[in-house]
Amino acid sequence: MPPGRLHPITVATREIAEIFGRMGFAIEQGPELEDEWHNFTALNVPADHPARDMQDTFWTTEATARAPRTHTTSVSIRCLEKMAKEGCDTYRAIAPAKVFRNEATDMTHEAQFYQLDGFAVGPVGTVTLAHLKGMFDQFYREYFGQETQVRFRPSFFPFTEPSVEVDMWFEAPGKEGRWLEMCGAGMLHPNVIKNAGLDPEKVAGYAFGGGLERLIMVKHGVPDVRLFHSGDTRFVHGFDQTIQ
Amino acid sequence: MKVSRAWLQNYFVEPLPEMEVIADALTFHSCEIEEVTPEMLDVKVLPDRAAYALCHRGIALEIAAACNLTLRYDPLVQELPAFPATDLLSVSVDDSYVLRHMGAIIRGVKVEDSPTWLTDMLQAVGQRSINNIVDATNSVMLNIGQPLHAFDLGKITKEGGITKIAIRAATEGEQATVLTGETYTLSSDMFVVADATSGQALDIAGLKGGLTSGVTAETTDLFVSVGTYDATRIRKMSQKLKLWTDASLRYQNKLSPELVPYGMRDIVKLITDVAGGELVGVVDVYPSVQSIESVSVSCAQIEARLGAAFTEEEIEGTFNRLKFSFSKDGDAYTVTPPFERRDILIPEDLIEEVGRLVGYDRVAPVALPHVDDAPDQAVFRGAEALKDFLTERGFTEISTQSFAASGDIQLANPLDKGKPWLRSSLVANMEEALTRAAHVAPRVFGPTPDVRLFELGTVFTATGETTALTLGRKTTQGKATPGPLAQVVDDLEESFSIVPVGQNEECSEFHLSEEQLHAFGVSYTPRTASQGSFIPFSPYPFALRDVAVWVPTGTKESEMTMCIVGAAGNYLVRIDLFDTFEKDNRISFAFRLVFEAEDKTLADTDLEPAMEAVAKALTDAGFEVR
Repeated sequence: MPPGRLHPITVATREIAEIFGRMGFAIEQGPELEDEWHNFTALNVPADHPARDMQDTFWTTEATARAPRTHTTSVSIRCLEKMAKEGCDTYRAIAPAKVFRNEATDMTHEAQFYQLDGFAVGPVGTVTLAHLKGMFDQFYREYFGQETQVRFRPSFFPFTEPSVEVDMWFEAPGKEGRWLEMCGAGMLHPNVIKNAGLDPEKVAGYAFGGGLERLIMVKHGVPDVRLFHSGDTRFVHGFDQTIQ
Repeated sequence: MKVSRAWLQNYFVEPLPEMEVIADALTFHSCEIEEVTPEMLDVKVLPDRAAYALCHRGIALEIAAACNLTLRYDPLVQELPAFPATDLLSVSVDDSYVLRHMGAIIRGVKVEDSPTWLTDMLQAVGQRSINNIVDATNSVMLNIGQPLHAFDLGKITKEGGITKIAIRAATEGEQATVLTGETYTLSSDMFVVADATSGQALDIAGLKGGLTSGVTAETTDLFVSVGTYDATRIRKMSQKLKLWTDASLRYQNKLSPELVPYGMRDIVKLITDVAGGELVGVVDVYPSVQSIESVSVSCAQIEARLGAAFTEEEIEGTFNRLKFSFSKDGDAYTVTPPFERRDILIPEDLIEEVGRLVGYDRVAPVALPHVDDAPDQAVFRGAEALKDFLTERGFTEISTQSFAASGDIQLANPLDKGKPWLRSSLVANMEEALTRAAHVAPRVFGPTPDVRLFELGTVFTATGETTALTLGRKTTQGKATPGPLAQVVDDLEESFSIVPVGQNEECSEFHLSEEQLHAFGVSYTPRTASQGSFIPFSPYPFALRDVAVWVPTGTKESEMTMCIVGAAGNYLVRIDLFDTFEKDNRISFAFRLVFEAEDKTLADTDLEPAMEAVAKALTDAGFEVR
């Protein structure tokens, strides 16, 4: 029996876990079917706020409706809540896992995909936007290659202030380099820190999140995001794979 | 928000730079640009800046700040006129909904087509011209962001010559027919602008004008309504009625009630300019004046958040460019934001303004401080331990969709109406994947009769959410035998102490708790995996051809495969040796060739020449084709 294959997301996640592990990041889990508090309200997205429209959301028919999470930032807020309970003020974690958006699908959009979300917090002043940039700088260099660069553009996410879009300079083999939009990020909004039960006067940090498939599509030249969760073995076997 | 170059140019003395240059400046200092043409920008105004930036004036200010240009004028800092009062209009409001309302009576207008300059202005941003009155209201909204509406005064009942307007809650079941002809049935949490004399609802307040009171060619007198309404209630109304308008999109982002008189000033001026007529008077109802809180931030706070020390010049330059008035005490600034800047509430908001306008390139990357303890990745590693165990046993990992045709938890708004449930098991998807895998097995797995797949994913059952592991095995030849799958299930029990929660001939499913995964992973290091570039597969079916040759003993397999690959042409995508046997000092090698084209289904006429070439090449090399 020849050996089987790992899914490309597994291969990528192992490498990502190792890079972030070296930067001190744990890997955290949380429910895929999330309550409104952890998916929205605690993240400074109150009910009836226009920011709710930024993510098209599925809701269940349960008496208290829940949502297949629209981002794994829900895992981050759960971690912050746990930190508050345990009296801890320093932590770093990533959550590479499945998320859901109620939107039409095409080559670059899927209703379900993986997000690489993460956060780092510490006493005020120890985790800054400069550290966020430093983290992306290291991550992209190690994952994509030394020639990558990072730049930030202003943006808005309810759970961060300031908020930025993260672009990466990438030179695909045999192609001209260009800036690619990779993910959203920012410094955690004081309301989010407060909602978790921590004191924003004392604890601060950053959060980031972006599509995991996007990383693989850029690195390995996958043209269509819909291939990832199609259950199609031709896709999984569409890469030369080495497992050591 | 579409903005036109000509319109923006009104705000500047100097000719504006090229639109591409402006787009770049906005991209790095303000927000994303969705589209750029030489005459138009489509600016993606996000909710935090919508209260001031969903208009040309707001974008002009952003451009001035981002490009460091000087504004020629700012309509929101010019002095307001003293509006004449009038006894001919009375307005009563429900102050749980109406934050401010100004009503005006304008008499003697002439409704006709708009002058070309007005039509052009609207067309440049994709708006259709209706008539001079409606165009005037749209133009003021697109210029300073204040929605407003003109009613035909003649269609509103008068009592003793006085027009009485009530902005009140709708009665349950009350109907309103809007300008475009649709009739909406309202509920008591919605609001209308009503003719207080007749009691009739004239329109849905803040959302859309009404049909019966709309301006027509016969209209001569106007009731102009300029208001600010509660953002949350507006949003709920829009959602419930599924009625989103240019006005409701602005109101739901908390427009400042201080903007109302500027809207009134501009609409009176524009209507009298393009349609003639005369302002009779204005009635202002402003139940609770907006308080503007100042916000303080220190240089130290800015540095603690952005991780770079900004100079006083940079900080003060930012505030000046944004027209923020500020005072300084030690290293702390106290800023009083302009009334329309509803987004400046806490120090972090000011920190963002400094960061974005100076530019985030100013922030140099810094490595996080080192931590000594290895971070906890055990639950993740536990799942990886199972994956490694299974790939070693020939299983290929798949990932499938979480939506299902049946399950325990249903979605209220599924994307695929045929799959409105969250999956409670991975088995249905596995069976489907096995069937498809068996179908493509010669292309993907080669001549093995054994297709082995697994998926590790979340399932949603009546008792809660859990991680499931499902193994699937299908044989492409002969009868299904449960042996090989049963063996792996036994191995899993022996190594991980897990037993299936469900099994059938082809599948076994396990449920795994976080504690179990943690235990598997706590001292496990996942194997190092790497992968190359994606090699696309064809959406068209592949075709199989076999070729067998007699060769002398000692002939290497590679001699034949090189010969075949060299001759078979570009459609050959895979070659597998599937049978060998020895007889009379000769060996028979049988190869299976897989052909596929990117752009078509291969026909015999494509394959016959390829196989003839293969046979010839093998014969030429001295092998005997069977």
